[in-house]
Amino acid sequence: MSDRSQLISTGTPFQFDKERDAEFERLVKRYPTRESMILPALWLTQEQEGWISQEAMAYIADRIGTYASKVYEAATFYTMYHLHPMGKNHICVCRTLSCWLRGKQEIVDYLKDEIGIKPGQISDDGKFSLEEVECLGHCGTAPVVQVNGEFHENMDVDKLKSLLATLK
Amino acid sequence: MEVKILSAKFDIKDAHKIKVAKEHGAYSTLDKVFAMKPEDVIELVKNSGLRGRGGAGFPAGVKWGFLPKGTGKPVYLAVNSDESEPATFKDRYILVKDPHSMIEGIIICSYAIGSHDTYIYIRGEYTTQVKALQAAIDEAYKEGYLGDKVAGHDFKLNVTVHRGAGAYVCGEETALLESVEGRKGQPRSKPPFPAVAGLYGCPTIINNVQTIASLPFIIANGADAYKAYGTEKSPGTHLFGISGHVEKPGMYELPLGLPLLEVIDKVAGGVWKGRKLKGIIPGGSSTPVLLPEEAKTVTLDYESMAEHKTMFGSGGIVVLDETVDMVHLVKNLIDFYHHESCGQCTPCREGLGWMLKIIKKILSGDGTMVDVDLLRELCDNIEMKTVCVLSAACTMPVRSYLDKFRHEFVAYVTKNDSSAAEAK
Amino acid sequence: MADKINLFVNGVEVEVESGKNLIDAIGAVGIEIPHLCYHPALGADGNCRMCLVGIEDGRPPLVPACKTPAQAGMKVLLDAAHIKKIQHDVLEFELINHPTDCPVCDQAGECKLQDYYMSYDQVESRMTVPQVTKGKKMDFGAGVVHDQERCVVCGRCVRFCREITKTGELGIINRTDDTRVNIFPGRPLSNRYALNVVDLCPVGAMTSKDFRFKQRVWFMKKAPGVCHGCSKGCNITIDHNREKYKDDVIYRFRPLLNEQVNGYFMCDEGRLSYKAENDGRLSEARLSKQIRSIDDVLAACTKEIERAEKIAIVLSPNCSLEQLVTVKALAEKLGASLSGYSDGYFKKGDGDDYLIQDDKSANRAGLTLLGIDCSKDGFEKAVQEASLIINFNNDLTLSYQESELKKLCKETKIIAISSHDNLCTGMADMAIPVASYSEYAGSIINCDNILQRFVKAITKNDNLADICEIAVRLGSPLQSDEERFSELKQFISALGEFQPDKIPAAGLNLNDSEAANVTA
Repeated sequence: MSDRSQLISTGTPFQFDKERDAEFERLVKRYPTRESMILPALWLTQEQEGWISQEAMAYIADRIGTYASKVYEAATFYTMYHLHPMGKNHICVCRTLSCWLRGKQEIVDYLKDEIGIKPGQISDDGKFSLEEVECLGHCGTAPVVQVNGEFHENMDVDKLKSLLATLK
Repeated sequence: MEVKILSAKFDIKDAHKIKVAKEHGAYSTLDKVFAMKPEDVIELVKNSGLRGRGGAGFPAGVKWGFLPKGTGKPVYLAVNSDESEPATFKDRYILVKDPHSMIEGIIICSYAIGSHDTYIYIRGEYTTQVKALQAAIDEAYKEGYLGDKVAGHDFKLNVTVHRGAGAYVCGEETALLESVEGRKGQPRSKPPFPAVAGLYGCPTIINNVQTIASLPFIIANGADAYKAYGTEKSPGTHLFGISGHVEKPGMYELPLGLPLLEVIDKVAGGVWKGRKLKGIIPGGSSTPVLLPEEAKTVTLDYESMAEHKTMFGSGGIVVLDETVDMVHLVKNLIDFYHHESCGQCTPCREGLGWMLKIIKKILSGDGTMVDVDLLRELCDNIEMKTVCVLSAACTMPVRSYLDKFRHEFVAYVTKNDSSAAEAK
Repeated sequence: MADKINLFVNGVEVEVESGKNLIDAIGAVGIEIPHLCYHPALGADGNCRMCLVGIEDGRPPLVPACKTPAQAGMKVLLDAAHIKKIQHDVLEFELINHPTDCPVCDQAGECKLQDYYMSYDQVESRMTVPQVTKGKKMDFGAGVVHDQERCVVCGRCVRFCREITKTGELGIINRTDDTRVNIFPGRPLSNRYALNVVDLCPVGAMTSKDFRFKQRVWFMKKAPGVCHGCSKGCNITIDHNREKYKDDVIYRFRPLLNEQVNGYFMCDEGRLSYKAENDGRLSEARLSKQIRSIDDVLAACTKEIERAEKIAIVLSPNCSLEQLVTVKALAEKLGASLSGYSDGYFKKGDGDDYLIQDDKSANRAGLTLLGIDCSKDGFEKAVQEASLIINFNNDLTLSYQESELKKLCKETKIIAISSHDNLCTGMADMAIPVASYSEYAGSIINCDNILQRFVKAITKNDNLADICEIAVRLGSPLQSDEERFSELKQFISALGEFQPDKIPAAGLNLNDSEAANVTA
């Protein structure tokens, strides 16, 4: 898991754009407490910026009316929240049980050879970032890779090659 | 061997769209349900013997009966779509291919328990699935199946989708509630149980997606029709996931009670590449492993699994062939549980990390018999001393590998430890 | 009185209060259940798992004692072998990643891990793999230093900031064994009770910058006392030590439990006010600004008193009740006016809705009870008419600017009887040092009308007399403690039930007794 306490400060205050602002207001009505909005607000931030900065967390805390420490807790606890900018294409390779049994390591090794990044790293040109994740719930079509949120099942090195070629 | 109860609409084109779904019977049970008394709906579900399909197997109707009456507080329904147990991949089919059966199930359950607010907790990784689910919910609102007057009846129901963000522990019911309330997914001590004090301190029922999606069939066809499938104590059907070293991995709906080995051979094509079977994980990574010899007498139901000292779990079957290094497999498992530990209580937080370091030490070649024995002892020291059962989900399978494949662990340490030669 | 019920601990029947959790219920009869995360002021969290006990025939058979209410007939197992093993195992888990910082950790000697290790473990470590490493010496603000490696993640500090001070600066971030306590960047601890987390922390993860490395706790003697920082009168433990060839010095105050007054906590200002007991003291008697012996100066004072036409006596609102009656008797004997004017002791608006009071004096209620005039007009009139002022420890510079004070007392001789050296003593013709509150015994009444008695905690090498003794030397007729106590009983009839040394430690709530004689 490693330590996610180091937040990145952009140096400028953060706020939701119009679309995210409207979505926040729509969602807040669906919960009896404003605190329930911490996870949805973090997602809205990540949709908007691709990652969540220190300023964004402070903004979320103040907007919801809760302690910044509570937003900090949630943002570091849930590993899907990116706390620093990722590559343009974020690649998640499932590493657990069935995917491990059916060859996820070949995929990870291939990515290391082809793009030169290990799990947890971003490529020098910023085009790719790689993460090994836990079971993605697609065990019947293992090994599975999730790129920019899209699932790619029954992956092998060849399919991966073609996939990478399509990514900008 | 396969059946099509839950998966009845999975192969129908566009069955996720409400128009097509309705043509095939979606929402047709509602008039019948609203004509019943809520307590009669609960009774019906109890009689069907439907057991929770998330992994615990607790009878759904009995759980609904635990709700206290007359508290004056709103009752909540939380649908558990976390599906993060390794080897489990069933609920997402429902969300994508037949979401309206789940929404219909939500309406049935909400009516029975007197709830007007449902929160569907869906794991963050399910991106395509959450879009499909939200689209179906929007359709349901538009057609009047959700909102102020469900299907024209005097019953209000709101459904909200709450996305998780990468935490297996949120599949635990109280951790799920914590997450909906905006906090870290750290399980709560029980008592109080969620039926008494759950979401926002109010009576809450938490059920798995598949459990909820099983309700329309039971209402439409009755308890006996459901009990016609499966065994006496484990009635009904289940969406089994078969993965690992088989020829045809995939999701298959089967009645409960079929012989495990027969299912692996006939449904999933048997062990792949002509290899030999080494072991079977019967119900998700948290279940103790079965040796081929043991598996001969196992049937896919809760009782048979318990007799064989393992669990039915989520029905996620993983087949292991002769090439699997069990020590590496155990490391893979401990790595998972350690990564997913919420960190709240001492034995799991510190203990799983210790176990991971020990097995890495063994794999690196620096381990000794002391380490193997310590790993085994830690399984006992951690289990059941924690707030939730995530630690047990790690220690129960690990213990089974250490006991049943001990020689593999010993082999890693033998060269380091002269006393290992005396070990069993 | 709560109901009593009977239950069994290790097969032995005990009588406990119903409604309490097992830790409190059984702890009250002297049997300890080890625990880290439970605290009576913060409630149960259930995360440390140290308090797991067995319940014979119970479902479940293993429960956390902090979350289990005591029930009649319960059969609690503490000494059973399996429970002892669990306690040992949980402790082992706490210790595997715990750094062996004891030689440099302030908590040594009052550390729960050390104590529990001696009681439940005493086995060598089996950890042969690297420990988890985290942040150390982290400045959390407000004088709190945090060490993440020592932390057992009990959550007490987080719960304190969220439930008691409601400022929420602390959080527990990450998960698995990366879990750690932290502040949000840029939002450090900034409440006025922050240092309480140092007391709450069962280990050395939260330490006080002020106390860091100053003294080992086993060298310090502990004495109970009452903080004189404001009119709340929080109960304190005075930790002090006399090192070889040195004087008895106070190293820290810690809050002492008093359910009526301050609960388990105190404010940071009060906590750090121990420094004012050590420093800035008046140590020598002075006559016309020359150092002389106390006896010499007292002799000079007596002469001055004899020849003065009119005397004005002013006393401090921090004086104890015993000191107040003694000085009052002196004033009556000398025909002097008596004032307790001390408006400057108020910091208007500074108080909060928890412990901190606007009134920064300890015994104003005592002044009021004894009918001592505290008006500004009364004081100034008295001073103008007087040729001699005897000031018993009232820091008038709080109420007046230096120039105003000099103007007011231009024509008057001043005898300053003071614990601390300040402008007043500098201006005085005669200055006499006296003991401060940690160095004498006395009683005070707090803002909630609770009378509290405290004992002498510190004995300096130069054991100064207190105000009572000086007042007697100057002629007060109340010469003994018994006489003073009798005098006080006239004003506070509730005292009639007690011997002076038997006043309950929890304090005497004067609102309760119908015979309390509180003059407006």
